[in-house]
Amino acid sequence: MLVFTRKRDEAIVIGDGIEVRILRVGKDGVRLGVTAPPDVPVHRQEIYQMVGAANLSAATAPANAKDDTSMVERLATRLRRDSAASGLSADAVGRSVAKVDLSAEAVGRSAAKAEPAR
Amino acid sequence: MTVESLLIDTRFGAFAANDRDIVTLVNALPGFERCRRYVLLSARSLEPFTCLQGLDEPRPSFLTVDPRVVVPGYSLPLEDSDQRRLDLLPSDTPLWLAIVGLSADAASVNLRAPIVVNPRRMVGLQLLPATSAYSCDHRLPLD
Repeated sequence: MLVFTRKRDEAIVIGDGIEVRILRVGKDGVRLGVTAPPDVPVHRQEIYQMVGAANLSAATAPANAKDDTSMVERLATRLRRDSAASGLSADAVGRSVAKVDLSAEAVGRSAAKAEPAR
Repeated sequence: MTVESLLIDTRFGAFAANDRDIVTLVNALPGFERCRRYVLLSARSLEPFTCLQGLDEPRPSFLTVDPRVVVPGYSLPLEDSDQRRLDLLPSDTPLWLAIVGLSADAASVNLRAPIVVNPRRMVGLQLLPATSAYSCDHRLPLD
């Protein structure tokens, strides 16, 4: 890890013009100002790590997937019932992205060599 | 543009897709920094769920759902910077995908950090708001 000593109003520059400036040094914390290009997102580490942990625990690798299809179908049935009751149809929430149909026929037709993951 | 056919393994089986079905993330998902390309899959029996399948190693497979189906009235502001990254125009209708976590006997939805996709450009990103009224593990009813 690179270590710098910086005073108030001094900065470091990372990569192509990302600037991290010390704005204030207080008893309980240091106030930083970050200037970065619009395509570089800047996050507090604890938020990034919290979402990263949630993503990691939600992801399933196809190679060691357990058979969770029946549970998903149970959840789906319940959600369809709830949204029908609230008058919210699936079409109402916009579904314009290109989606690949994951039907049993499609699997059988196009994946002659591949074993289904479950 | 040539259309290449891809054979994709998922937790729900294997199937074919085209390269025009690929959603590219402008910023990778935290935890999966090396995977930028995903395909969104649907099946009638799984509706309203979809499967967001990563194409780059380690090829993560996510179960996703529109958060507005889980919580009617759900809304999260899209910052100007995020709209620019997604090249969202006022005429675009972004797609919202919340990631579902499954355990042996429970399911939860990450309403805090949804993935937003611009279907016109097939680009997406995960929102990481610093503060939010929504939680990372909103419980889904099983039966």
